[in-house]
Amino acid sequence: MVKIFIDEKPVEVEEGTTILKAAEKEGISIPHLCYHSAFPPEGSCRMCLVEIEGLPKLELACSTQVRDGMKVFTKCEKVVEARKGVLEFLLAEHPLDCPICDKAGNCKLQDYYDEYGLFESQFRENKEKREKKDAIGKSLIHDEERCILCRRCVRFLREVTKTQELGVFERGIHSRVNICDFAPVDNNYSGNLAQICPVGAITDTDFRFKTRSWFLKSGDSICPLCSRGCSITIEYHPGFYRFEVPKKVYRINSRENQEVNGFWICDLGRYGYSYLNENRQEKIALTNKKMSIEPTWESVRAFVAEKLNTLNSTGKMSQMALVLNTWLSNEELFLFHKIFREDLHVEKIFFVDPPQGESDDFLLTPERSPNRRGAQEIGFDIKPASLKALAAKADLLLVFGSFISGHFGSPEFKDALKNTETKIFFTSHVNELNSLFDIVFPTALIAEKGGSLTNVDGKVQKFAPVFEPPDDCHSEWQILTDLGQTLGINSSFYKEFKTPEAVSNKMKEEIPFFREEK
Amino acid sequence: MADQVLTQHFGLENFYKIDEYVKKGGYEAVGKALQMKPEEILEEVKKANLRGRGGAGFPAGIKWGFVPKVDKPKYLCINADEGEPGTFKDRYIMSHNPHMLLEGIIITSFCVDIHTAFIYIRGEYEAIALRLEEAISGAYDKGFLGKNIMNSGFALDVFVHRGAGAYICGEETALLESLEGKRGNPRLKPPFPASVGLFQCPTVINNVETISNVPQIILNGADWFVKKGLPKDGGTRIFGVSGMVEKPGIYELPIGTSLKDIINKYAGGVKKGKKLKAVIPGGMSAPVLKADEIDIPMDFDSLVDAESMLGSAAIIVIDTGTSMLDVLKTVTKFYSHESCGQCTPCRIGTSWINKIVKRMIEGKGSKKDIDEIVRLASNILGNTLCPLGDAAAMPILSITKKFRKELESHL
Repeated sequence: MVKIFIDEKPVEVEEGTTILKAAEKEGISIPHLCYHSAFPPEGSCRMCLVEIEGLPKLELACSTQVRDGMKVFTKCEKVVEARKGVLEFLLAEHPLDCPICDKAGNCKLQDYYDEYGLFESQFRENKEKREKKDAIGKSLIHDEERCILCRRCVRFLREVTKTQELGVFERGIHSRVNICDFAPVDNNYSGNLAQICPVGAITDTDFRFKTRSWFLKSGDSICPLCSRGCSITIEYHPGFYRFEVPKKVYRINSRENQEVNGFWICDLGRYGYSYLNENRQEKIALTNKKMSIEPTWESVRAFVAEKLNTLNSTGKMSQMALVLNTWLSNEELFLFHKIFREDLHVEKIFFVDPPQGESDDFLLTPERSPNRRGAQEIGFDIKPASLKALAAKADLLLVFGSFISGHFGSPEFKDALKNTETKIFFTSHVNELNSLFDIVFPTALIAEKGGSLTNVDGKVQKFAPVFEPPDDCHSEWQILTDLGQTLGINSSFYKEFKTPEAVSNKMKEEIPFFREEK
Repeated sequence: MADQVLTQHFGLENFYKIDEYVKKGGYEAVGKALQMKPEEILEEVKKANLRGRGGAGFPAGIKWGFVPKVDKPKYLCINADEGEPGTFKDRYIMSHNPHMLLEGIIITSFCVDIHTAFIYIRGEYEAIALRLEEAISGAYDKGFLGKNIMNSGFALDVFVHRGAGAYICGEETALLESLEGKRGNPRLKPPFPASVGLFQCPTVINNVETISNVPQIILNGADWFVKKGLPKDGGTRIFGVSGMVEKPGIYELPIGTSLKDIINKYAGGVKKGKKLKAVIPGGMSAPVLKADEIDIPMDFDSLVDAESMLGSAAIIVIDTGTSMLDVLKTVTKFYSHESCGQCTPCRIGTSWINKIVKRMIEGKGSKKDIDEIVRLASNILGNTLCPLGDAAAMPILSITKKFRKELESHL
């Protein structure tokens, strides 16, 4: 450990730490544009210059390592003047199109201008004319006028994806980031470029001109679209109730997690968020008019519990089938195991997940569900559901998860279900198989509930709700604790589960895998 | 002239050919050096106070001493990019006396335990590059290069690498990037090339003239060399005099020769009918000296005291017939054109200043513009990634300071 002084405040950091990192640790932010923790320092933006006692010139905070006894000044006049100078240079050639720039509101250039001066422009020459709308690949648009040449994008493609589609062309004031002819940015991680661009130079057509960043709220979550479990931030518009503008998710960004995804997420996780906005099953649907139940959870729960108890007491548990999926959290799968395996001894438990897809050697795995590993650790044998297995004569079929529609066509599924007396569907989304069920009950998504997931490497990660689920939706863990209590087989066990954490604590008690710190 | 070290044989016919060179005592220095211990060579060069001829004037012996003794390949890069405007000395050495450079390369490599050397030559010097190739192949044939140099067991390969025409590639780390086949952008220092250089290996980078002095130091000793120049700044310099003089050209003179003498005695004085207005003493990035400031010894320290620099010892003479606004335009145009564009102050600052000067030339300038140029150049100075920013800011600041009245008169 070495002791240094930042703005006369003593700071102890490890040897080899840079001034920027040491300052961050103390909550002192040093402005920087080209520096990104994912890459070695570049030193080209010159925003992070600081004064070090005894040195004639200002030094870079991003690359200069601390030495014992070093005295660093980050807010003295000389430093502030130098930052203003750099900022003035950057803004001289920068277009004044913040009002139509997607980055406005979370642009570092805007923030620093706000912090260092709000000076009037002294630039009275003609600005360089550059390409404003250059399609550089997939959904990315590059605005050369806004670009400050921090080269984060170039370095990302060189060091992370190693695809090197972007480079700097020309030199001096004519320098510009661009692709080589006929070779647009095309890799699984291209969306990260718009996120790491500190200004609005690279924007994403998926987000471009759709909303303003200051309208958006954001929440941390875990990406459920493959078994990697990358940390993400969901940015959504909360909606205007007065004008009947509903809540809408606009963007998924990656969130730093060095143990799982570093700083990045794949394009599937970034752009595959339409399921959060579209086709939600919001209300309880009672298709079978012959049943005398109310469209409330209490009524449905009483009906399901009675059905299960009858089967159990008459020894006909083999007459029921349960279909699960691995988008369910560890806690939910634990409760399913408790109720249906341990309390009711159901044999026919199947799983239906979204079909496998492409994978790569970085983050993306072939599975399209986040918790396969968790289901295995809890003790499930992940048997896929087949039409043949479902076609057997049965009294009750409980299906959790909307993924069956991806597996089964409507006519075959209808045919398979003709020997089943009561069919209940717990789903987050409307799909064409809904009408084949007697009861369709809406469920919450991962972004709308709490719990934990176990990723492909066995890392257990907690998540919390980002926003509320719509109308009648219930989280599966709530459904199960309620059902567990109503069944009456082991009511006291389920009674204590008021939160997912409570379930988690019990799960840790019972299953050693979840007990260990991972 | 008895003082000549590097240029003494320049007039001889076919001296660039290896047979002629050997006849005149060529490669004796290599023979002598290979009998010495590397530490002895290093000691001799350190004692000779041989300072870098490229511009910065860093002592060569000390630079070599920085190379760590690690189990990695080490490289020698000869900076023959010669891009500083006004500088044309290295081309003379390489075309008239290429073997002297090769001798210097062999001795330096032997001293620092290097087995691969590169001569990074500017792209425009095509004929000179061919001459170097010829010299190198001659040296291989005679056993001065290759696996077992003069039966000493020492091995060295030398390659010529041609640049593609960027001023920035004369900056040593940009040169390394270019040599590695990348875009010629300067690297962040530290680490310095002596520890992490070409292909991430320890690398010595020296100017052509610096290395060409090494054989004479070995042959005649450090004391002889120091006596040629000044105690802290040994040897001679090849002064390249250009601009408004009667006899422009290169003049090899002892370090510390007066600038006034170089212009008046050797270069034949200012062109007839005109008077001296200003001198740029060390390549275009050196701050300008006024006519009454030229009574000054041409060595690194004296010019630093005069708030200028010796740089590459390229003397550009400006007479009363030349407008300082035109000089300013030439300077700003050059640096804004040659800025690599990597760091903010240099990329945008040089272009901004150039735009203002262009406007002034068009007759649309005001006194406020001169203040603006000073302010912007001050914001570049000391705040850039590599010395190009300083090289641009220094002449701009000195011209606006020393010739402000004249500049105002043009508005």
